[in-house]
Amino acid sequence: MMLHTKVIDIKKEKIEVKKAENFISSSKFGASLIFKGTVRNTNDNKKVTGITYDSHDAMVIKSFEEIYNEVDQKLKIKDKAVYIEHVKGYLNLGEISIIIAVACPHRAEAYILSKYIIEEIKKRSPIWKKEHYENEKSEWLKGNPIQVN
Amino acid sequence: MKVILELFGASRDLSDKDFLEFNIEKKISIKDFKKKIITYVDENFKGNKNYKKIIETSSFCSQDNNIISENYNITKDQKIGIIPPIGGG
Repeated sequence: MMLHTKVIDIKKEKIEVKKAENFISSSKFGASLIFKGTVRNTNDNKKVTGITYDSHDAMVIKSFEEIYNEVDQKLKIKDKAVYIEHVKGYLNLGEISIIIAVACPHRAEAYILSKYIIEEIKKRSPIWKKEHYENEKSEWLKGNPIQVN
Repeated sequence: MKVILELFGASRDLSDKDFLEFNIEKKISIKDFKKKIITYVDENFKGNKNYKKIIETSSFCSQDNNIISENYNITKDQKIGIIPPIGGG
């Protein structure tokens, strides 16, 4: 299995693109993609100064593994490397909240795989965002009820 | 029995700690446990509507990290996680 998953407690360690690149690097793959989610400065017409991420770590890791494992059957992508890390804790604007790095033999399946993973994480991984605003207020985002496959 | 409700996301606003503790006399379903949490909000947060909505829209998970249904029965001391609507990435 070429899968790496981790929840990064940002108080204790960094999230690093280089590690993702190294993990998926292989001459058997002709296409690799690195998706980074970063903290944006506006949401719903509010000026955002940062986001605190919360996570149910064990369930998040479980969801990442389930998403990886079902790709064989659902997307028919057998040959792949996948690296997923998500941060918990406070992030400033522009900082990375998630890295999804994938490598496949061909580009078409790499694009499909990368998009599939982030969309499924949004639906199934218990991660929450609390936005902090310029007026020093903060707010948990509403989100959607968790979906279980 | 003692049920520890582990708090995540928006439900963290219900306590300064990472959990709430409930003493419950006999076995209880998740459906009825939800009512206990809502009673806690009534007593401690003057029935704050936003907090009640969080509870009503949340799922719950067992100690072995599985989402559990409203019919799941808590029969002994254990930890239950509350999973408010999610939105990471």
